[in-house]
Order: sequence, then C-alpha cells, then structure tokens
Amino acid sequence: MDDSPQTYKILVVDDEPDLEPLMLQRMRRDIRSGKYTFVFAHNGVEALEKLNEDEDIDMVLSDINMPQMDGLTLLQQIPEVDPNIRSVIISAYGDMQNIRTAMNRGAFDFVTKPLDFDDLKVTIARTLRHLVEWREALSSRDKLVALQNELDVASKMQQSILPTEFPQGEAFDLFGSMEPARNVGGDFFDVLTLDNDHIGLAIADVSDKGVPAALFMMSSRTLLKGAAIGLDEPGKVLAEVNDLLNEDNEAEMFVTMLYATYDPRTGTLTYANGGHNTPVVFHADGSSTELPLTGGIALGLLPDFEYEQNSIELAPGDTVVFYTDGVTEAMNSVEEEFGMERLHGVFNGESPEDAQQANQEVFEAVHTFAGDTPQSDDVTCLTLRRREV
Amino acid sequence: MEITTERNGETLIAKAEGRVDGANARDFQNALETEIDEKDRLVLLDLEQLTYISSAGLRVILLIAKALRRQGASFAVCSLSDTLGEVFEVSGFDKIIPIHSSPSDALAAFSN
Repeated sequence: MDDSPQTYKILVVDDEPDLEPLMLQRMRRDIRSGKYTFVFAHNGVEALEKLNEDEDIDMVLSDINMPQMDGLTLLQQIPEVDPNIRSVIISAYGDMQNIRTAMNRGAFDFVTKPLDFDDLKVTIARTLRHLVEWREALSSRDKLVALQNELDVASKMQQSILPTEFPQGEAFDLFGSMEPARNVGGDFFDVLTLDNDHIGLAIADVSDKGVPAALFMMSSRTLLKGAAIGLDEPGKVLAEVNDLLNEDNEAEMFVTMLYATYDPRTGTLTYANGGHNTPVVFHADGSSTELPLTGGIALGLLPDFEYEQNSIELAPGDTVVFYTDGVTEAMNSVEEEFGMERLHGVFNGESPEDAQQANQEVFEAVHTFAGDTPQSDDVTCLTLRRREV
Repeated sequence: MEITTERNGETLIAKAEGRVDGANARDFQNALETEIDEKDRLVLLDLEQLTYISSAGLRVILLIAKALRRQGASFAVCSLSDTLGEVFEVSGFDKIIPIHSSPSDALAAFSN
C-alpha cells in the first residue's frame, strides 16, 4: 500500500442549501491540509450522478429525507455503482426506525441532527480508516488469488507434458506417474520411441516452482526431446541440453536429469546422470542394486560440461525404478525420510511382475510411510521392466 | 529454517539450521542476502545444523555463489552431514562450490 498521505473525497448529500457552506467552513483545516475534499449533491438522483461521474469518491454522507430520491433509497443504489464506498447517514435525533433501516441497508454509521462537527469528524475518520483496512484486505486477497492462479497455470503446464501412454513391447514394459506436491514442484518424466526401436527414458526435477520453473521445465523437456532424437548417446544428449539451458539462464535455475536409452532386443540400458537420484534395479532373485554413478552435474549450472555415460544389461525379470527425491525424501509425521533403505525394500524382497503394478507399489509404500503428512515435493516414479520371454 | 551470522571484518559466517525446502527457499535467500555485505571478501555457509535441503535450496546457494563471484568474493560451504554431502555430490554441486569439513578448514583454505 502507498504510504503517502491520501486525500479522501467525500460526497455530502443534503437538500438543505446551508449545509454546504457550513461543512466547508467547519472542515476547512482538513480541506486545506489536503486530508479531505468535498463534493455536494442535493438529492439521491444527483448523488448517483456524481458517483457515476467521479470514481474517486471514497465515502458518502447523506441525509435521509430529500426530494426525488431519499437517503434510504440512495443507500440501496450505491453498491451498484461501487460496493467499496462507505456511507454514513444523517438522521433526525432519536429516529431509530430510519436509523435501523439505514444500517440494515449497509450504512457504515450514522450521525444525528443537529450536526455535532466534532463527532462528525470522528465518525468520518473512523469510516475512512475502516475503508483503508478493507481495501488492504481486498488487495491481499487479490494477490492471493493471483498467486493461486499462477500456481494453477504452473501445475497445468506440468501435468500437460507428462506422457499418459507408454510404449509396450514383448520384451519390456513401462509405466510412470507423478504426484504433485501441494505447492507445485518441478518434476517431470518423458518416454520417447527412438528411430532404432530404442526407448528413451528421462526423469527430471527442476530446482524451483511456480510459472518460471514450469517454463524452465517446458524448455528442458523440449530441448531434451530434440537432443534425444538427434543424438544416440545419453551423455551427448545431456551435454547438449545443458549447454542450451546455460545460454539464457538468468534465473539460475537448474534441473537434475537422468536420461537413458534402452534397447529392448539386448536389454542394454545406457544412461547418463545429470545430478539426479540414482535409479535402483530390482533383480529377479529379489535383490536390488543401484545404477553406478556417472558423476554428472545438474543441467544449467556449468556450460561445456562433459557427461559420462554407462551401460548395464538388464537380465530378464529385472526392473529399474527411476524416481525423484520426492520419493526418498518423503517425510512422515516424526520427520523421518523414506530413504534409500525403504526404497530397496519396497517390494519386500520379491521381484515385481509388472511395471505399472511395481510403480504403484512404490507410491503406496510412500503413502503408507508418510500418512497424512503433507509433502513439500512432487513424487515421481518411472519403472522399466525387462520381461522374461 | 533459521540463519545466524557471525561477522569478522569482511568475512561472514552464516549458520543455517533446520530444513530448506520449496516452501521456505525464498526466506532462506532473503535472509542470506540481507546478511551479506557488498564489501564482503569471504562468505562461509556453515551447514552443520541443516537437516535437509531440497533442490530449491540448492538453487539459492547457487544464486548466492554466483552473486559473490560477481562481486569478487569467495564462497564456500562447510560442516556438511553425510546426507547433505551426498546431496551435494549427487547434484554435482561439489564440483562448483568448495566444500570444507569445518569453518577453521575453510578459513585456512581461504587465507592460503
């Protein structure tokens, strides 16, 4: 809110011609100091005209009995012009009936005739103070609504880029999903069918939230897609995305990203890791291992970084779970993290038989662990399984 | 999350406590930016009491590191727990931000 002293404009409505000079005379100090300015009308119709012409009027001080349109009718009409104008009614002393009606019709306060100007000054000041607080409340509400809208936009962008259908083959199956945190996070994953019948798999986490992060997420995903289609090697793909993200990154955002290509014929998974959590491989015998680190850094931090890549061969029945830190850092009510150990134990030593089911089991384990504790980060999981043919 | 600071001339040691996640990363950033003076030559972030940092928190550390680089000052973090050390390693932050085992190690490295 602007702290500079503001001039309030008050519309005085009364059919008695004496009131105007009297008001200007008694309020001259406040007028001279720039605190108040006054405009005058002589009945309700004229008052509405003034209100329609002049958007700066903050408050109305109105008599009740007037020709053409009385004060009580005027009270009903004011909110249609501007619901945020506050009105004070001038009534005859002891006229409780009209005062009650006026208050019921939304008058903020009343003063009685003959006017006591000291009391009137107090009443005007109080009315305007209320008005200022009201406007501040409105403006914070608007800001809140704007913020909520921004988060909704970001959330929609995030949801819109996630694949909902997954390529399936005789030799593999695949499933992924993301559960957004209450505050929009920046997770995404992608699945691409590449030229050579390889499958491209990406999982990523952008370092911020809100619309700028969602835009960064969109460009990361677009750049990844472009690079993945043009280049076969995951290390080169990450290097290209990283260089492009570094070009115009004043917000200093970054994205952790793991990109892998999978050859369904041989079961070879080749991956490069840009600062992302290490995927876990669950073997047919119930044991589990982590993909060896390749030492890459998050994308958008350092241009010209060379990303190492590594290959492993999935045995028939092996399941790879790619995930974001929303899984391992999910919190329960006593602030424990889900952690790697629970992730390794997520299938209770059994080997998953279906990617979708395995993926859901990870989410269920996180839900069971976290209970009602609200999560601060998105939870994302992408599961690839080599079928036993 | 809480930040306490200790200043010695143009050296600032800021201790972060608690959690930094997406919900309070902006507060974390504001708190650090308020404490850092443009004349500072060295800013050391002591993370011994930090129990958790999300990628939004890492981004703040990156912003601070880059801002200090622009003003010609040094920046380092120290006293990372094993978990936090892992976060720095996995994200690759250990390659762009100097990490020391204690404040005294960090100060010694700087004076060399």
